[in-house]
Amino acid sequence: MYHRGLICAFAVALMASGAQAAEDAKYPNLKGQWTVIVKPGVPGQRVKFDPDKPWGRGQEAPLTAEYQKVHEESMADQANGGLGNYPTATCHPGGMPRMMSVGEYEYIVTPETTYILIGGEDNYRRIFTDGRPWPGDIDPTYAGYSIGRWLDESGSGSFDVLEVETRGPFKGPRAYDGTGLPLHFDNQSVFKERFYLDKSDPNVLHDTITVMDHALTRPWTADKTYRRSANTRPKWREYYCINGMVNVVIGKENYFLSADGLLMPAKKNQAPPDLRYFKQTQN
Amino acid sequence: MSKGRWSKRGSSKGGLGLVALAAWLAMSAGAAPAADQALYPDWQGAWARFVVRGLGGQPSFDQTKPWGLGQEAPLTAEYQKILEDSIADQAQGGQGNFAEHAQCYPAGMPLMMVAFRPLEFVVTPQTTYVLVGGSDHYRRIFTDGRDWPSDIMPSYSGYSIGLWTNAGGGGRNDTLEIETRGFKGRRAYDATGLPLHFDNQSIIKERIHLDPSDPNIMHDETTVIDHALTRPWTVDKKYLRRPNPRPDWEEAYCVEGTALVTIGGEMYYLDGDGLLMPARKGQKAPDLRHFK
Repeated sequence: MYHRGLICAFAVALMASGAQAAEDAKYPNLKGQWTVIVKPGVPGQRVKFDPDKPWGRGQEAPLTAEYQKVHEESMADQANGGLGNYPTATCHPGGMPRMMSVGEYEYIVTPETTYILIGGEDNYRRIFTDGRPWPGDIDPTYAGYSIGRWLDESGSGSFDVLEVETRGPFKGPRAYDGTGLPLHFDNQSVFKERFYLDKSDPNVLHDTITVMDHALTRPWTADKTYRRSANTRPKWREYYCINGMVNVVIGKENYFLSADGLLMPAKKNQAPPDLRYFKQTQN
Repeated sequence: MSKGRWSKRGSSKGGLGLVALAAWLAMSAGAAPAADQALYPDWQGAWARFVVRGLGGQPSFDQTKPWGLGQEAPLTAEYQKILEDSIADQAQGGQGNFAEHAQCYPAGMPLMMVAFRPLEFVVTPQTTYVLVGGSDHYRRIFTDGRDWPSDIMPSYSGYSIGLWTNAGGGGRNDTLEIETRGFKGRRAYDATGLPLHFDNQSIIKERIHLDPSDPNIMHDETTVIDHALTRPWTVDKKYLRRPNPRPDWEEAYCVEGTALVTIGGEMYYLDGDGLLMPARKGQKAPDLRHFK
């Protein structure tokens, strides 16, 4: 009985450890902390769609004339102290595709779902790889609804590419970067992505994203890259936009909060907010 | 050596070899998902909080009792007063000791485990993740055998180290024991502002396991050790697995619907047009000294 028990335990342990190794071998190793690769010398903020070009106009986004105007007006408003077309300035989620342009990422690969943990203004993504069809009704979200499938393009017997399609309806407005470079306000974007490890460096991850959006004259593709931290137990920074947020919107106007939390104008000669509901004022 | 004894030894070795061969064949045939199930309990799906009908108020730490004073939290006299002051402030239009979370700051532990929306548990050998959403993102519970780091960055969710155990004696992991340290605050147990100590030195211990008689009930036995308490406070939080194997995961962000704004230490409302309104009777308008 004792020997049978040992044999069974050995078999389960052998099966489990070997099967875990087999499971790990089916999928590429996406473990660890992935940080957006910033190209040195490219001006502007690092949060942008095409990492190889400057933000804003430098992205040379193939916008329609209408949305080129939306973009120009956004930047003009920001030059005057406004927030432009950038709700993330008040901690609203960035949604797709901006959520793939920030911070530190963690990928969790399971057979049914690949999760991307993001944090910050956006929580995480779920990419369903369980073979499900597109649902008949999708609730609007900032992240969209993502269905993916694993491919073995190298013929090695293991998966090496995750192809993803993400549809809405989305919530919005959404912008590609801090200049308010706009996606269409109809929130009908479709994204197609290919995630794969760099062939010459397994510590570089590619997310080649193509955006199809009614604000564009053609699909727009960028290859976003991320570098894996060498630390096998990385520090995960907890970041919440709301900590330290100094923009406040009252009515249709945005204001700043001073260091002592008082309202300040954000624009030159900006009038104070409408205080029609107050009987008593402080000054 | 007798034939009989030799035969027994031979049959043991042969049996071991057969079992090992069977195991190897099972591996090769892609039995990995089944083996993962053998290692860890099935925690897949959407886990909704257990609701006691008729309790009133909002959900709280102890699911079986009303929020606020009804929780009968073993608070020190000092922190009992903080709770009562918070409730009184809320009765006057303030947010009391819940002001930060009311303005979309993270709730942190333990409130983030109340499951306002269903939770998702993702189990891997090195880490178990709890996807929460809303104002709190997720938790990472490290099960890779690491030691406590000497420097923990304070966070609302804390730093969690877990250990899988086989409490049921069934030959597989069935219970995740967790300790969580290293907090930021302020944190409260519920929306009355039932307070944890402002020193943020809480330690929270948990035992998460499925109900032995119903695998669609999960228990999170949570013990809070905190300087605002006169003794450790333990509750058994339960979650119910939703039957849909492909649940609809709701995306919720507090900033979308919040109507509160704090200016100069005072909290105000925003009306439907986004205009400032008083939150309390007789509240003065904000100081506009920076405007000409």
